[in-house]
This record gives sequence, C-alpha cells and structure tokens, in this order.
Amino acid sequence: MKMINLLGTAPKEVLSHGPTKLLLNKYHWHVPELGIVASYTPKARDVKDHFGIFRGVDQVEAFAQATIVSCGAFSERQKQDCTFERLKEIFIPVFVGIGEVKFHNYLEKGDTFVSIGKITFYKFRQMICDGRIYKVPKGLDLDGYFKKFTEDRLVNYNLGNDFTLVAELQDVTGRAIKKERL
Amino acid sequence: MERQEIIDGLVEILKTVRTIDQEKLKNVTEETDFIADLNTPSTEMINIAAKAEQKFGVEFEDDDIDDLGSKVKDIVDLIIRTKERE
Repeated sequence: MKMINLLGTAPKEVLSHGPTKLLLNKYHWHVPELGIVASYTPKARDVKDHFGIFRGVDQVEAFAQATIVSCGAFSERQKQDCTFERLKEIFIPVFVGIGEVKFHNYLEKGDTFVSIGKITFYKFRQMICDGRIYKVPKGLDLDGYFKKFTEDRLVNYNLGNDFTLVAELQDVTGRAIKKERL
Repeated sequence: MERQEIIDGLVEILKTVRTIDQEKLKNVTEETDFIADLNTPSTEMINIAAKAEQKFGVEFEDDDIDDLGSKVKDIVDLIIRTKERE
C-alpha cells in the first residue's frame, strides 16, 4: 500500500538498525522528493565514555539515518509497492561517501536535535542529501512547530533564532545494496 | 551504434569527472577498469551511469546497476543490451 510520507511511521519500522544503534526518534516533516525533518535525543549510552558529549561521528550517523536511509527506504518502498519489512529482507543501507562536515556546536545527553535534510540526488537506490543539525529549544513541541513548516523554509533552513546550529553536512551519500551482494 | 562510438561517448562523460586524471582518458579501451585504472570514486559510478542514460537515450533498471561490473566493456554491453530491450 502506497504511503503519502513518513509522518506517523516509527523509525524502527523503516530502518534495519537495532535499538542501540538507532539514532532517530521521530519524523516531523517529510516531502518525499524534497527532504525531511526528524529528531533524536541522545541517551546516556550514546555519550558513555565520551565525556558526556554526543560524538560528531554519531551526529553524522544520526543525520544519515534521518535523511538518506529513511528517505531512500521510503522511495524504494513506493517503487516496489511493498512493506518496509520486505525491504529489510532484501537490502542493507551502506555509506558511499560524506562530503564536507562542519561542526559548530555540541550536544549532550538529553539535548534534542533535528536533522534537516535536503535531497539533492536519487537514482539507482543511491541518495545524496545536504543538510544541517540544530539543537532544539528545551520543551518545544516539535510536531506542532513543524506542522507549519514549508518547502521554502526547508530550502532556506528557516528556523527560529532559538534553534542552535550544531553541524552543516554536504553530500552525505548512501545506497541500498542487496544483501546477497555482501 | 558501434561499440567504439559508445566508448568515445563514455570518454566524453569521464572528461566531466574532475576527480579522474584526464591523461588516463587518452588510452581508454574496453578492458579499462573505472576503479582500478581510472581511480574513479565509487560515488561517481552512479553519476556516470546516470549521465550515460542521458547521452545514449536509454533507461537502466536499478538491478542492472547492481550487477554492473567495473570495466568499460561492462557498461558498453549494458547500453547495447538496454537499447535492444527498449
């Protein structure tokens, strides 16, 4: 059955990652051909042995899960008209490349952040996204906030001044490959 | 379409890939390996396939790309096969 977008779908249904490696809580905004906004709040285990700070490499992983993996899975599901479970049986997501990443700030346990991804390329099950990570103001209702979000605001990263820019990412590239090819 | 004509078209595409040493494009043959001989980044292989679709007026299946080898002859074969299929 075709879907309109990922809103209302739990990330664990979409992604193959197990509970300790899933760095994605919820989808808040999604226009399939354009991009996505999704959030995560680091847990104690995510900052363990790293002086209480969510690692930069995990920020990239969280961004990739929120953008290229989620959007790629959605697009392939639509194309094959199957379930996410079926996709998980056939494919595995792999990193192909990461362009430039600039870190501007840090995240601690309990800091909710949003990954904002803009799709720049999708073909042959390979997706490329540019985007940003922002720390979210404490207590903000993200679903309510992004209900009024628009394509124009996504393109321009138009958020309130109380969001803190944490990272800028370019050319984050991933591909779904068949498990049989591993 | 002759195979050499396709190879010449592929070389034109490869000239637009800035990470490929242009000197190496002077001796491209069917046996040239995109990765081993031209040091083509894996990220570029999909872009090259997408550009080949446009240049040769074909549309590859996702599975074709999954199964594509890394030599020039592999993509030449795919282009010919796809043209016959269409």
